[in-house]
Amino acid sequence: MSRLRRAGGGLGQTAWPSATLLAVPLAFLVLFFYYPLVSMLAGGLSDSVGRFNLGRVLAILRDPYYRRIIGFTFEQAFLSTLLSLALGFPGAYLLARYEFAGKRVVRALSTVPFVLPSIILVLGFVRFFGNNGVLNRLLMGLLHLREPPLRVLYSFWAILLAHAFYNFPVAMRIISALWARLPPTLEEAARSLGAHGPRLFLRVTLPQLAPGVLASAALIYIFCFLSFAVVLVLGGGPRFTTLEVEIYRLAKVGLDLPAASALALIGALLSLLALFAYLRLQARAAFAEELELAPAGHRLSELLRRPLGFLVLLYLAFLVLVVLAPILTVVGYSLQGRAGWSVGGFSPAWYGRLLDPGEVYLRAIRNSLVFAGLTVILSVPLGTALAYLGSRRRTAGSSVLEPLLMLPLGVSTIILGLGYLQAYRALPWLGAAFGPLSGSGGWPAVVFAHTVIAYPFVVRAVSPVLRKIKPSLPEAARSLGAGSWQLFLRLELPLLKSALLTGAAFAFGISVGEINATLMLATPQLATMPIAVYRLIGSYNFVGASAMGTLLMLLCFLAFLVIDRMGKEL
Amino acid sequence: MSLRLERVEKHYPEFTIRLDLDVAAGSLLTLLGPSGCGKTTSLRLVAGFISPDRGRIWIDGRPVDREPAHRRGIGIVFQDYALFPNLNVLDNVRFGPQVQGWAPAEALKRAEELLERVHLAGYGARRVDTLSGGEKQRVALARALAPRPRLLLLDEPLAALDAKLRQSLRREIRSLQRDLGVTTVYVTHDQEEALALSDRIAVMQGGRIEQVGSPEEVYGRPRNLFVAGFLGRANLVPGTLSGREGKFLRLETALGTLQAPVPDGRLPTGSGRWVLLFRPEACRLGGRSGNRFRGRVVRREYLGALIELEVEAQGLRLALTVAEDGGREAARLHPGSPLTFSVDPARCWLVPQRG
Repeated sequence: MSRLRRAGGGLGQTAWPSATLLAVPLAFLVLFFYYPLVSMLAGGLSDSVGRFNLGRVLAILRDPYYRRIIGFTFEQAFLSTLLSLALGFPGAYLLARYEFAGKRVVRALSTVPFVLPSIILVLGFVRFFGNNGVLNRLLMGLLHLREPPLRVLYSFWAILLAHAFYNFPVAMRIISALWARLPPTLEEAARSLGAHGPRLFLRVTLPQLAPGVLASAALIYIFCFLSFAVVLVLGGGPRFTTLEVEIYRLAKVGLDLPAASALALIGALLSLLALFAYLRLQARAAFAEELELAPAGHRLSELLRRPLGFLVLLYLAFLVLVVLAPILTVVGYSLQGRAGWSVGGFSPAWYGRLLDPGEVYLRAIRNSLVFAGLTVILSVPLGTALAYLGSRRRTAGSSVLEPLLMLPLGVSTIILGLGYLQAYRALPWLGAAFGPLSGSGGWPAVVFAHTVIAYPFVVRAVSPVLRKIKPSLPEAARSLGAGSWQLFLRLELPLLKSALLTGAAFAFGISVGEINATLMLATPQLATMPIAVYRLIGSYNFVGASAMGTLLMLLCFLAFLVIDRMGKEL
Repeated sequence: MSLRLERVEKHYPEFTIRLDLDVAAGSLLTLLGPSGCGKTTSLRLVAGFISPDRGRIWIDGRPVDREPAHRRGIGIVFQDYALFPNLNVLDNVRFGPQVQGWAPAEALKRAEELLERVHLAGYGARRVDTLSGGEKQRVALARALAPRPRLLLLDEPLAALDAKLRQSLRREIRSLQRDLGVTTVYVTHDQEEALALSDRIAVMQGGRIEQVGSPEEVYGRPRNLFVAGFLGRANLVPGTLSGREGKFLRLETALGTLQAPVPDGRLPTGSGRWVLLFRPEACRLGGRSGNRFRGRVVRREYLGALIELEVEAQGLRLALTVAEDGGREAARLHPGSPLTFSVDPARCWLVPQRG
C-alpha cells in the first residue's frame, strides 16, 4: 500500500504551493549563486577581449609556481586529514564504548570547533604556540631557556595542527555515532568464534566502521582543501600557500580577476570532485552525525586500571587542552594592560576602545550584527523552503534539482566572493543596485553571500524534523478541517519551532564568524568583527585582536547555546 | 449521512482502482482485502487526499469530489494514530472544533465529553507520547469524532496493537459508532475483525470490489473463488452441472454426484466448470443423507474445543473441524483411519471456476 501512497498525488498536503516554494529559492540561487559562479567561470575561460580561450587555465597548469601551490594544497589537506583522524579516532572509541564522568563535557567541547570562527582559532594559535606565546613562555620559565624552544608558527606544522584542531571532532562524532550503533552481539559472536585483540578489531570492527572513517575523511579533506584563514595567517608566506589563499591574493592584492578566476576554476573542479566522493560515501552508509549518549556499558575506570590506562587520561586531557587553550588564551590576553608582548597588568581598557563611538571598531561590531540579522532573515525562509521541497515525495525533477540546490555547500566561500566581484563587473547595474562600484560589493553583496553560505545549515536543521513529520499528521489536520494557514500555524510551525531556531542560530553564528567571502567583498567601511580581528593581528596588536575576538566568541557562544538547547528539545 | 461512490476510477502506472459503492447512513462498511488491493487508496479518495480521475463521490447526496479534504467534514483514524506531538491529549481532541471555529467553551465541552466516552477522562493534560498504543488509538478516535463528522474513516486502526487489545478496542469502536450513529468506512485486512464489526463488508482485490454484502453473505455465499478463499477456509470440489433437483443443482465431481443450492436463486447459464464449496465446520462425521464423502485421515490436530482433520479423498484434500467429543468418535481418529462424513447440501455453495 505504501507504494501507492507515495505515488498518489495530493490536493496539496502541506501549506505551501509547490510553485512558489520552488520559484523563490530558485530565483535567489540563480541570481546570487549560479550567476556569479558562471561569470567567474566565464572570466577564467576568456581572453582579454572576452572570447572563449583556455589560455589562462593552461598557463596556470604549466606554471611551476601554480603547480607547486596545487600540489601543496593536496598535500596539506591529505596530511591534515590523517592527523585529524588519528586525533579523533581514540575519542570516538571512548565515547562510543565507555561511561565516564566527563563524557558530557567532552561531547560539548567537541562542538566548539564547529562554532569557533577561524580567525579566532588563528589568533589563539598565534598567542598560544607563538614564539612569545603562552606555551613557549611556560617552557622557557620551566626549563630556564633564553630562546623559545618551539618554533611552530608560520610553518607547515602550524597549518596541520590548526586543521587537526578544527576537524578532529568531525571524525570523532561521525565514527563514534557509527561505533555506538554497532550491535555488541557482532563482536560477541566473533569472540565466541575465537577472534580477539587486534584481529577482532581489524576483521570485525574496523570493516563496520570503514564507511564512517572514509566519509569523515572525505569531509575533513574538503574542509582542509578549502581552508583559508588558517593558511593565510598561520602559513605566513608564499612557501605555504594554498589555492584559496592564492585566489584571494590574485583578486584582492594583484587585482587580477581573470587570473584569479582561472585559478578558481581549477580549484572548484578539484574541490567538487572531493565533494562528489563524499556524497557517494555518505549515500553508501547512512550515518548519524549526532553523538548518542546512550549508556555504553563499560565504565572508563575499568580501562584506566590497565597497564597503559594513564595514556587514556593523557589523551583526554590533551583533547580538552587542544580545544580550550586557544580560547582561554584569547580571553586571557584580551584583558592585558599594554599592547606588545610583555605582560602588563589586568585591564579591560581595550573593551572600552571597542565600544567607543569615536573609533572604527564599534562600526565593525554594528556591521557584523546587521549582516548576521539580515542573513538570518533571508536564510531561514530560504533553507526552510528548500527543506520542504526535499521532504516531499520525489517528483520528476527533484533528483536533478536537489543537487543543484545544495551545490553551494561544495563551492568555496572565496570563490563565491570572487564570483560576486566578477558578476558586478559583467553587470554593472547589478553592482549599482548593491552598492558602490569600487571593485567590491556593497553591503547587500555581503549579506547575500552570507545567506548562500548559511542556508544549507538551515536545511540541515529543518530537514530531519520535516522528515519526522509523518504524512498522516497534515492529513489528520486537514480532515479535521484545518485549511492551509491553520495547518501551517497550528501544526507545522509549532513542530518546526526548535529546528527553525536552530537554523537561525547557525545562520547567525556563520554570518558573524565568516571572513572569507566578507574579505573579498567588504569595503573598509563594511569591515566586520572577524575582519577587524584580522587587521589587528596584521598590525601585531594582539590585545586589541583578542578583545574583539572575545566579543566575537561571545556572540558565537550565544548562538551555540541556542543550538545546544534546541537540540535537546528536538 | 450516506456515502456513495459512483464509478470512481483512479489510475496508477501499475494499478487501477475502480469503485462503485453505497454505504447506508449510520452503517459500518468494511473494506476488506489483502495488502495492496487498493483499500487504503479508496479511503484516501473518499477523504480527499487524492482526487479520482473519473466518477463522483457523494456524501449525504452532495457531490464532494471537488471539495478539498478540510471541507469534507470527515473524521479519520490512522493506523499510526497521527496524534499531533506538539499538543496534549485535550488539545488534540479539540483541534477539529477549534479550527472549524467552534466557540471555545463548546469545543472544550465536546472534547471532554468524548474523552470520557473513550474512557480517558482525566488524561487531557497528558503528553501524547506518554500514552500506550491503545490509549493513543482512543485519543485518535475521540479526535476524529469531536467535530461531529458526517463520515468516519478508519484505516487499519488496530493493526499496530496486540491481539487482546484489538478485540476489546474493536468492540469499543463498534459500540461508539452505533451510539453516535455515524456512517463509517473501516479498512482492514483482518477477516475476523471485518466479520465481527461490520454491517456490510466489501471484499476488494486488485483495485476492484469483488463482493459487497453482510458478513453472513460474503462468508456463506461468496460470489467467487477469491472471496471464498479470502474469508475463512473453504473446501473446493470442482465439477460440471448435470441437472436440477428441486431447490438444488447436481454437480458431477470426482467424489461423486453432489448437491448445492441454486446460487442467487437463479439458474446458472452456460455449462462451464463450477466449484462446490463448503466450510470445514459444516461437516458432520458419518451421516447418511446429503453430500457424503469417503476418505482417509492424513492429519489430525487437537485444538482443545475443536479437532481439525485433514482428509484425502480421490486426490483431493478436504478439511473438517468437529467438536471435541470427550474421547468418543472424533478422538479415536488418527492418520490412516478411514472416514466417512457428510455435509448438508443447504450449507454448500456453487461458484464459477473462473471469474
